Formats: sequence, C-alpha cells, structure tokens
Amino acid sequence: MRYNQTEIKKGIKLHTINTEKFKTNLTAVFLTTKLTRENVTKNTVISALLRRGSKTMQSQEEISKTMEEMYGASFDCGIDKTGDNQVLRFYIETVNDNYLPQKGENMLIMSLQKIFDIVFNPYIEDEGFKQEYVEQEKNNIKQKIEGKIDNKARYSLDRCAEEMYKNEPYGLYRFGYIEDLKEMNRENLYEYYKELISTCKIDIFISGNIDETICQGVENDENIQKLQEREPNYIVPKELNKPLSQKENVITETMEVTQGKLILGLDVCIDKEDLRYDALIYNSILGGSANSKMFQNVREKAHLAYVASSSYLRYKNNIFVNCGIEIGNYEKALELIKEQIKDMEKGNFTEKDIENAKKGIISTIKTIDDEQDTGITYYFGQELSQSEISIEEYIKRIEKVNKDDIINIAKNVSINTIYFLRGEVEEKH
Amino acid sequence: MQVIENLKVKEKVYKEKLKNGLTVLIIPKKGIQKKYMIWGTHYGSNESSFIVPGEKEVTNVPNGVAHFLEHKLFEQENGINSLDVLTALGVEANAYTTNDHTAYLFECNDNFYEAMDELMDYVQHPYFTDENVEKEKGIIGQEIMMYDDYPEWRVYLNAMQAMYHNSPVKIDIVGTIETISKIDKDILYKCYNTFYNPSNMTMVICGDFEPEAILEEVKKRLIDTKASGEIRRIYPEEPESVAKSRIEQKLEVSTPLYAIGIKENVKCDQTSEKNEIIRKHIAIEILLNLLFGRSSNLYKRLYDKGLIFNQPSLEYEFTNIYAHILITGQSNNPEEVYQNFKNEVNKLKQEGINQEDFERIKKMIYGGYIREYNDVQDIARMFLSDSFKGIDSFDYLEEIEGITVKYLEQILNDVFKEEKMVISIVKN
Repeated sequence: MRYNQTEIKKGIKLHTINTEKFKTNLTAVFLTTKLTRENVTKNTVISALLRRGSKTMQSQEEISKTMEEMYGASFDCGIDKTGDNQVLRFYIETVNDNYLPQKGENMLIMSLQKIFDIVFNPYIEDEGFKQEYVEQEKNNIKQKIEGKIDNKARYSLDRCAEEMYKNEPYGLYRFGYIEDLKEMNRENLYEYYKELISTCKIDIFISGNIDETICQGVENDENIQKLQEREPNYIVPKELNKPLSQKENVITETMEVTQGKLILGLDVCIDKEDLRYDALIYNSILGGSANSKMFQNVREKAHLAYVASSSYLRYKNNIFVNCGIEIGNYEKALELIKEQIKDMEKGNFTEKDIENAKKGIISTIKTIDDEQDTGITYYFGQELSQSEISIEEYIKRIEKVNKDDIINIAKNVSINTIYFLRGEVEEKH
Repeated sequence: MQVIENLKVKEKVYKEKLKNGLTVLIIPKKGIQKKYMIWGTHYGSNESSFIVPGEKEVTNVPNGVAHFLEHKLFEQENGINSLDVLTALGVEANAYTTNDHTAYLFECNDNFYEAMDELMDYVQHPYFTDENVEKEKGIIGQEIMMYDDYPEWRVYLNAMQAMYHNSPVKIDIVGTIETISKIDKDILYKCYNTFYNPSNMTMVICGDFEPEAILEEVKKRLIDTKASGEIRRIYPEEPESVAKSRIEQKLEVSTPLYAIGIKENVKCDQTSEKNEIIRKHIAIEILLNLLFGRSSNLYKRLYDKGLIFNQPSLEYEFTNIYAHILITGQSNNPEEVYQNFKNEVNKLKQEGINQEDFERIKKMIYGGYIREYNDVQDIARMFLSDSFKGIDSFDYLEEIEGITVKYLEQILNDVFKEEKMVISIVKN
C-alpha cells in the first residue's frame, strides 16, 4: 500500500492510496469549512442539493440510473462536524475492473468524472438552484433536524455536547436549525454555494488499484481546472489548554424512554500534541473496551448497564462517558462512574491494563490498510490536524506511553457536564 | 478438503466435514492482515421446542434461551470471562444471536492462535451456576429495555406480529423480562448439550492462511465429542394468512416509521430444486429495486411529493420455516406510501417488466455481490449464515446470469400478493 499526496492548487489536494487488496475502488471528495452558527444549516442544505442533480445528470433519477449502470456504484454523501469544522463528504465506490464481466470499461475514471460533476458542477437554472429541489430539500432537512430525538442514545450525546459547548461552534447541532431554513431561497443558496466552493478546503481521495496517469487525469478534469486556488477557510484542531472546570453542570431532561441515558462530558486539558496518545490510552482503560473500568465495574460487577463505555474525541480533546441505566439507579450509577474517574487519578489500574489498552489500539490502527474507507478517514484526519504520522510512527508513540503519563492525563481530566435523559415515571422491572 | 473456486470474484473456499460432524469452511485471503474466525451453531430464537437426540419426549424451553446462552458461554469456571481474555489479546471479540443461529467470533491482526485457543476453549466448556445465571438476568434486562426504546426495532417486531400467527419469528430474540426470569442452569445445560454438538455447528475462517495447516490447528483444539443424531425441531403450525393487516404503536419519534411486510408460504418439509431459493432471492431483490429502488418511478414520485426523504431499505428474509419481504423507512404518511406501493405492484403486474430496467438492475446487483468479498468479516459471516440455510454463497454469482424477465414475472405474481401484505407503523 502506498499513500501519496499532491497539491493541485493552493487549498486543493489529491490523496492517493494505492492498494490491490480490494474488489473495489473508492473515490471521495471532502469539503471542509469552519463550523459557524451562520452557515451550519446552509451547508446541510447544499450537501442535500448537490445530490439532486448536476449539469450532465440533471435529476436524482439520472444519477441513480448512472450508478446502477456502473455495476451498482454506490454514491453516498453526508455531513458531519469534525472538531470546529463542518465537512461535506461525497463518496463513489465502484467495482474494480478486474471483476467486471466485460473488459474494457474503466470504472475508476468514470467514477471520478461523476463525483466531480456532482460536487463542482451542480444543476443550475437562472442563476440559482432548481426551485423544486430547494423546496423539497428544505423540507427534508427540516425532518432530518426533527429526527434528532429518534435515537435516544445519540440524542443524549448530542444534548450533552450542546450543553458542554454552549455558545461555541462545537455546541452547534451538526445538521443545523429549522429557523434558518425560512430565509433560504434558490438564489441565495447558489450565491452561498459559489462562496463555499471557492473558499473551502478541498481534499480528493482515491483508494484502489490506481495507475500513474490518474493524477494527471484529475488535474486535467475540466471541473477541477475551473476551481480557483484559495486560502482555505477552516480550523486546524488545537490542543486545549484552558483551566479545569470547577463546577459540574448537571442537566436532567424527560422524554418517553424505558431506559435512562446517562452521559458525562469530560474535559481533557492537554497542551502538547504528543499527549493525545496518552489520552487515548487513558480513555481505553476508563471505558474504551470490554476490559475497561466502566465495562467491568458498571456492567459486569454492579450489573447496572448493558452499554457502559467512553470515547475520546481527539479533535476536541474531550471524553464522553456513556451509559444506559434503569432510571431509579441514577445516583448509584453516577457515583460508581465518578469512582472510576477518581480511580484513574489515583493510579488504580495495572500494567496489564495498560498493556491491554495498547494492544487494542494498535490492533485497530493496523486494520487501517485493510478497510478502504477507514484508510481515507485516517489520512484525512492527518491532513486536517496537519500532522504527518505514519502508521508505524503512530504505533511507536502508543507503545511508549507509561503509567505516569496516564496519571498525568487523569489529573487533567474534569467533569464538565452530566446529562441524564429519563422517563416520566419511574418504573421498576 | 473439497475446494470450490469462483472465477468471477476470484476466490476459493475450502470445505471439510470432520468426523465429529463439524463443518469447517476456510476462505484464504492473500495479503490481508485482518483475520476472522467465527463459530456458529444452527440454533437461534426459533428453537424453543425440540426432541433431544435419543429421547422421546418433547422439550419446551422459555423464549430467549439461545441468546441467554450466548451471554453465559463467556464465563469460565475459574471466574475468568473469556471476553476479557480476548480483549486483552488485542482482538475484537463478539457474539450474536439471530432467529436461526448463534455465533462466536473474533477479528484480529496479531495473536490469532492465542485467540483461537480461547474461543475454542470457551465455546466447548460451558460453566453455569445458579448465581451466575441470576446475575446475567440484570444485564439482559437492561438490553431488553434498550431495545424497547429503539423505534426501528419496534417497527420491525410489530411487522412480524402482524404477518405471523404462531411462527417463532414473531418473538423477540432476547425474550422478555418475564420469560428470561424462568431460565435456570439446567435449561441452559440441556440446550447447550443438544445444540452445541459439533454436528450442528459450522466454523468459518477467513484471512491469509494455508487451508491445510489451519484445519490442523482447528482439529488440535477440538475436544473429543461424538456426532449426535438429528435434532427434531418442532415449530408451531403457521396458517397461510396474515395475523393482522396493520399494527400501530406510539413512541416519541419525529417522523413516523413504517415497515411493509409481504408474507410468503414456506412448507417446512418442502424439498425444492437446488438453488431455487437463491434464484428466488435474486429475483425478489431485482423486483424490489424495480419497484422501489432509487431509480424507480415510485421512489421519484414519493420523493417529489415529500412523502419520503430517503431510500427505504428493501429486504428479503428467509429461513427453513418462514420467508418474507420487508420494506422499511420513514414517512409523514405511511398509509399513502403503502397504497402507492400496492398500486405500483399491480401496475408492474399489468404492464410487465421493462427489459432495459431489468438489465440495469441486474448489473447493479451483480456489482453488489462482488463488493461483499472486500472484507474478511463480511465474507465469513455470509458463508456462515448461508451454510445454515444450505446455501453455497458463491452460487449467487452464478445464478444471477440465468434470471430472466419471465422468471421475475412469475415470482412477482406468486409472492407479491395483496392479501399477504401488512403494515406496521410507529408514530407519535
């Protein structure tokens, strides 16, 4: 496997991952822009509008037929927040030519043409998006935003992040806000699209069986050629060095749920990039695996939960502890979770725990080469944080973390927000 | 070992049935670091009434035993939990229970043989006590409650309730708080001894291995067990009709969820021609995409009207005792989606299938089958679940070529019957 990157123009990069392991080729285009209250909803609507049609495939139906004709190429797009940025992601996956029943078709070149066409060459009428598409997508986005409540576990995490980052970009809901939709029309959305496309960071990924000429092909593509160079408008994730929060922010909300969802948002205050590896191990011991304190003590010993875990978000340096519990057990569970966090600080974990955590993380890192989309996500993460660490180097850094390093992280962890979603009535089963 | 090669996807599977009755499938993947091992028993939530080989009396057990066993097998006599051991090895270990099988698995890069030691050890050495069985009821109880809050799960289960009168597919795989309260260690041992005999099990290994060598490694780790006779599985009689045409449940959701089900008749003792089930499966996949796929008229019409805002999932589920189609999605007006779908089915029956659309969808489905061979996990799981259905997964790639418009039209008329359709809705 070989990874390469080329700057096509300032702010626009082509990344290639050359590998023969897969039956498929995967192409991706990521548009990265600052997450702001002003633009968060617009970006979601733009992402939805782009998949409605391009100049050469003017409707969803035409895009779908094209993809089906390409042996079921799958076209996907999505939007998410990565640190303080919003990323519009587009993917096309096609079957590698070696596995097609007829020879002579070049699916990779075709998928690149199609993905550029969809992202950079949208269907436009009279200086605006198509009226009908705009109305429909505004309506769809409204439903999507309203859908926030459907998955209670996900909702609780979102709510905890909102409370924890009140008035900060990261506290924004990733799909935006219903009230923003009113002001949007086909012209001002197109104006915004032009602004976005000329200022955002653009990363193009190709993973698969690639021949040398592909880079030239990308550079010569007419949709790529018409893009201007830019000083990309995005935020490089930085280490957090703010004072530990002194007060825990406690929020309880009610909804129709059978099981209570308890989320703790923790700040991890670290001032050096290197400390992220220590934080990763800290999280793994606290709640990152089946060997973790959360899983062992909250689930296996106290039987308080089925889900009892934690995850570390390196772009924001925080940890979310996540538990589904019986509503009546709130106090008990909270106390037990806090005990686990204190235990970390006291160094109540073993060399074996550290060893296990390292093995788990290293094993995950090694699979990056074996999964096309994970590979792309990894190199994009490196690109965003402007660090160029090879997989080998990453593993080395994980390996050298020791107990003191982890305790040092534990001392710089504090509970910022406790969020509890509970039902109306306390039920005992 | 029997070697089956598929030239389309350029993969091979090595197959061996051992003396103790265990079936082993090995799919070598050169150059891939990930390795996957899965060991399954042909035993899931469908089996709650059966005759143990050698016995005369029927054994009836509470719902949820297969899943309960899945949880409990990890616990060892020395107090160690095998999941901890596997996790400590840096491997990704898990287990799951479906309607017709239970499986134990791990995925790893390093420490494959150590993990194999542990997996094969714990699956072959159950250890149940009154105390450890009681403890598990608390954890599974939380799991059941978690599912109660998943609208996707509710809408699915209600669709089963609507289609079926008696079939075990209508019960929740995990059981209920009430049924699991009746489970004790004797029940667990009885079910374990019956269904975890090697002759009722299949193992699949996928990764960069030499097939002969890895088979020897498997044999070394097997304890001495004799193949048992056939387990008589007793399933309730299922009428052809649907139980209820419609079920609605209230849950706090933003947009209603719907599941349209189409029940098919399956005779338990049906001996159909080899691969007929595969051809039918492919035909139904093509039909569903023609009717409601991303490029279909129905999809376009409902999308433009704002009745749907994403692609509904289109599935065909089947075992030896039931088969049905499921279309699930979200809409502000599920009834209208349902009515439009029915109309579209009638229209297709009357107007016939367009050759061009058919060829295009066929290409798409072919590409989808090829893509399933990317990842060791997908490959191993596919071969395992297909093997319990008596299917060789490669045959999908071979059979698709022979599917014709005429055959599709026959399946369309046989399976897509209005009186066999139900709808389940979850809304505020």
